[in-house]
Amino acid sequence: MKKVGIVGIGHGKFGVRSDASLRELVFEAVKACMDDSGVTLKEVDSMVTGVAGDEFSFGIQPSAQVHDYIGFHPKPNFRVEAACATGSAALRTGWMNIASGLADVVLVVGVEKMTELPTSTATEIMGRAGDATWEYPFGTTFPGYYAMIANAHMAEYGTTEEQLARVAVKNHYYGSLNPYAQMQKEITLEKAITSFTVAYPLKLYDCSLITDGAAAIILASEEKAKSISKKPIWIAGLGCGTDAMRLGDRKSLTSLEATRVAARAAYKMAGVGPSDIDIATAHDCFTIAEIVAYEDLGFCEKGEGGKLIEAKETYVGGRIPVNVDGGLKSKGHPLGATGVSMAIEITKQLRGEADQRQVKNAEIGLTHNVGGSGQVSFIHIFRRE
Amino acid sequence: MEFKNFSLFINQTKVNRFADDLAGGKIMSTLCKKCGKQYYPPAADCSSCMGSEMEWKELKAEGKLLTFTKIHVPPEHFAVRQPLMPFSSIQFEPCPIGIIEVGKELPIMGWIPKMDIKKIKVGMKMKASPFALPDGKITIVLEPV
Repeated sequence: MKKVGIVGIGHGKFGVRSDASLRELVFEAVKACMDDSGVTLKEVDSMVTGVAGDEFSFGIQPSAQVHDYIGFHPKPNFRVEAACATGSAALRTGWMNIASGLADVVLVVGVEKMTELPTSTATEIMGRAGDATWEYPFGTTFPGYYAMIANAHMAEYGTTEEQLARVAVKNHYYGSLNPYAQMQKEITLEKAITSFTVAYPLKLYDCSLITDGAAAIILASEEKAKSISKKPIWIAGLGCGTDAMRLGDRKSLTSLEATRVAARAAYKMAGVGPSDIDIATAHDCFTIAEIVAYEDLGFCEKGEGGKLIEAKETYVGGRIPVNVDGGLKSKGHPLGATGVSMAIEITKQLRGEADQRQVKNAEIGLTHNVGGSGQVSFIHIFRRE
Repeated sequence: MEFKNFSLFINQTKVNRFADDLAGGKIMSTLCKKCGKQYYPPAADCSSCMGSEMEWKELKAEGKLLTFTKIHVPPEHFAVRQPLMPFSSIQFEPCPIGIIEVGKELPIMGWIPKMDIKKIKVGMKMKASPFALPDGKITIVLEPV
């Protein structure tokens, strides 16, 4: 198998970006990526654009707006969609481009422009990411799906609302240290617990944000990576798994089978296990999702996720730091950009460039990105050497 | 009856008689004639043996509650519109929803209109019934037995 490395990263500011359009957000990230790598678009063979929603971008072919605006034509651009995991699907597609020999240098872009629509419309679009025929008629929303996972997890393992809130407190703390995060303020446990209910038992601070943002990565084949960068970060393992469309059809409501399948594949390919991971970003679209991810990724036993956050083991200095960039919860969740942003955070950590959030001597990192309520899950494992 | 009286958006499907049966008081599943696999929601095709010869079968719609929630921030389609009278407001109290497991792994989603969210517990025994709404739409409700 050909080795593929990350040689450039560019992260735009996440937030309510009423100052910029979809294509302009991408330009910021791509420019930052060029600056980071010293690579110009002339040297890039092909491009992958992750953008989840045509509804959000007011037109089909949003990826064409993007390649046009950065002047990439006439070279290949391939649009990828996997709901909230779109960015990781794009990264995997970029890897495949190089591993197959189709290209040597690939630009992977993730973007979403979500706040131009009213929140209720965005909520409706997201809600229909479940089964639009058989679930949506019951008024389901995205928080609603994860609320049902939370109630099942609480009933089976005694997970508490306070444990959920502790995930929010952690991620807001780290978001406050990340200049690219949408929410840069800490919150107290009390504030999280007393915020209004969005979908019982999930409250406002259990939910991730509706965000505009873009992120970009340049991938290169081993030979090219070594000539471009002094310290490429290597993609050592990739995993992808899927599960039933509807929650009710899943084998388990307290675990995401898609993640378990993806994790097994990625760990096997990288030749490592959960205890080898120094730093991880996990898909915390809701606080319960991060707790379930701890368990599905093997960072703790099944049902022990609540206790792991209670013991602060997922803070920097803990057993396995998770989402110390603020996560979707505080950094924000522009659907197409999230997976790319996760890989950027791990790259920074493995390069030793994460400033106050740096995990000491991090060598192996993992990203975990879930599409929808668990219909698809992508895991990537990265290594410094 | 049009299928979208149940599904809201989608009207064109091979299983559109589901809505007629629901209006007639029955929650129907489909059964693969070749391998016997049962489907709820009903499917026109069998992913187990790739057959498409199905028969309809009514469900005895009772089972344990797998999970539930109550969505306080609804999608646009379900949001209560601004009242017409100036200075007035209406208290919007949403309805809980849940999923029960019927027979062997057949999940039925429904509204739980008659219960306080604090009294709903995973594992409780409930039954699902069709329910006609005043606007002509048809849906499913769950209640404890």
